[in-house]
Amino acid sequence: MTRLKWTLFGLAVLAVLFGPLVAPHPATAPIGPPFAPPGTAGPLGTDQLGRDVLSRLLHGGAPMLLTSALAALIGSGAGVTAGLFTALASSGRRWVEAIFVRPLDLPAAVPPILVLLLVLTALPNRAGIVLAVALSSVPLSSRITRAAAEQVIGRAHVEVALARGESWAWLLGREILPLVASTVLADLGIRFITAVYLVAAAGFLGLGTSASDWGLLIVEALPGAALQPWALLAPVAGIALVAVTANLASDALARRSRGVLG
Amino acid sequence: MIRSLPGRLSAGAVLLALLTFVVYVGVDLLPGDPVTSRLGPNTPPERIAELRHHLGLDRPVLARYGEWVAGLFRGDLGISASGRPVTEMLSDRVGNSALLAAMAVLLLAPLSLVLGLWAAWRRGRPADRVVSAGALLLVSAPEFVVAGALVLLFAVSLRMFPAVSLLPVGASPLAYPEILVLPVLSLLLVGLAYAVRVIRASACAVLASPHVEFLRLGGASGRTVLRRAVVPAVLPVAAQVWLVTGVAFVGGAVLVEKVFGYPGIGELLVASVQSGDLPVVQALVLILGAAMLAALVLADLAVVLLTPRLRTGTR
Repeated sequence: MTRLKWTLFGLAVLAVLFGPLVAPHPATAPIGPPFAPPGTAGPLGTDQLGRDVLSRLLHGGAPMLLTSALAALIGSGAGVTAGLFTALASSGRRWVEAIFVRPLDLPAAVPPILVLLLVLTALPNRAGIVLAVALSSVPLSSRITRAAAEQVIGRAHVEVALARGESWAWLLGREILPLVASTVLADLGIRFITAVYLVAAAGFLGLGTSASDWGLLIVEALPGAALQPWALLAPVAGIALVAVTANLASDALARRSRGVLG
Repeated sequence: MIRSLPGRLSAGAVLLALLTFVVYVGVDLLPGDPVTSRLGPNTPPERIAELRHHLGLDRPVLARYGEWVAGLFRGDLGISASGRPVTEMLSDRVGNSALLAAMAVLLLAPLSLVLGLWAAWRRGRPADRVVSAGALLLVSAPEFVVAGALVLLFAVSLRMFPAVSLLPVGASPLAYPEILVLPVLSLLLVGLAYAVRVIRASACAVLASPHVEFLRLGGASGRTVLRRAVVPAVLPVAAQVWLVTGVAFVGGAVLVEKVFGYPGIGELLVASVQSGDLPVVQALVLILGAAMLAALVLADLAVVLLTPRLRTGTR
């Protein structure tokens, strides 16, 4: 079951990444009349400016996916680092928790979509998207990593390493991180799903990663949905495919990590 | 626990105050500049400076924040970049959005409880597999993607409901129920997926517990087991999930409203982000954040009221 879920996700990622290479037309060139149905121009018809829907779909997926992956990695990486450090620093020191951990509850209470909208208002570009995803990931990632690390920190091998006088980098990287790695990976999966959601939402707002971002394709296809439903169906199915297969794969990861922790 | 309510409320107020500060000062610290991005890179610097001065952006951020907070207490949310007072732009829309979220939550509560309990009761059987798989698929789909699929199905193919929420200015959506169907359904489906998963998991845990086995060995009927053991144990969890989902509706509604052109605060928020209208975005984030914190306090309260052990204070 796990292997099947990962195969599905891998196939979806490969299809999206190699999309631009196999696209029959450029993403921006008109190839027929606007909102032409499939068959007359292009296998999925054309959009409101007569551009090939299939080609736009194939061109728009890769930047969306890569931005999501980058943003999830940055957010999760920062969150894991913060979580590990606060776990080690706050063992036996309550004030560390009050100063460094409680403030992270604040951004955790704000829905990610609001963070995205707020950041994009001031920074309407790709950096803004990555920043928004990272900002909304850090509090949750760090909290999960901290909870996992706290269970490990009292173990004998950590005490031995402490007594040997190892550095913090050694303690965190060699003694603690390997034991919480499965939790961290499962968390990364969840962050990636949120990232796909937010990146698609940014495209939907017209502030996406490319001129044929899937979110943007949905907005543009909505007014002509009655004339050319394929232009709407294609990006809807595309985002659903990436989101659902990513969720299946991350679900498989989460199950396994629960086995390790429990 | 009831005695801790003032504490919770004041913690919520502090959180809200911090949120406004982050929203106001944090956005100012971001490297981008709303004025430059609005006017474009080729605008002469004098023109940018003039607009910055006109919008008051050339004064220190803390002074502006202080005035903004003082305005809040007078019910004044500032002036939007388009020159209209923000409160005037919001007045009708807040009610419309609240209506959307309220209807979705009211439908969510009974549906998710029935589906979640049903799936848990039939654990591992076909009924559970269908409900669980459906929930797993929907829980990962963004609301606007679900909304797009619903438009294709109900507006384009079946022609049952309108794809666009056309509403005369000032009219209440309640007078035109058909435009509410698809937006509410889009929110409901995604929220339902999450709520059913949590309620099913919680009910499964209760059904596997020793006291349910004891009830069953004593000859209690399935209905008695549900009524006496499962529902009371699941309700506190369910209440929390419903309220948290209601909060998520507030965020999800932003994009769903945009899909249907529904005249709520979400649609306004999207338009304001696209035009870089910071005062409107700040006011809306404040309203959404306040709604969210209120729902979280309510969720805590609901858990206390539904859990006798917490209610009587003997933990």
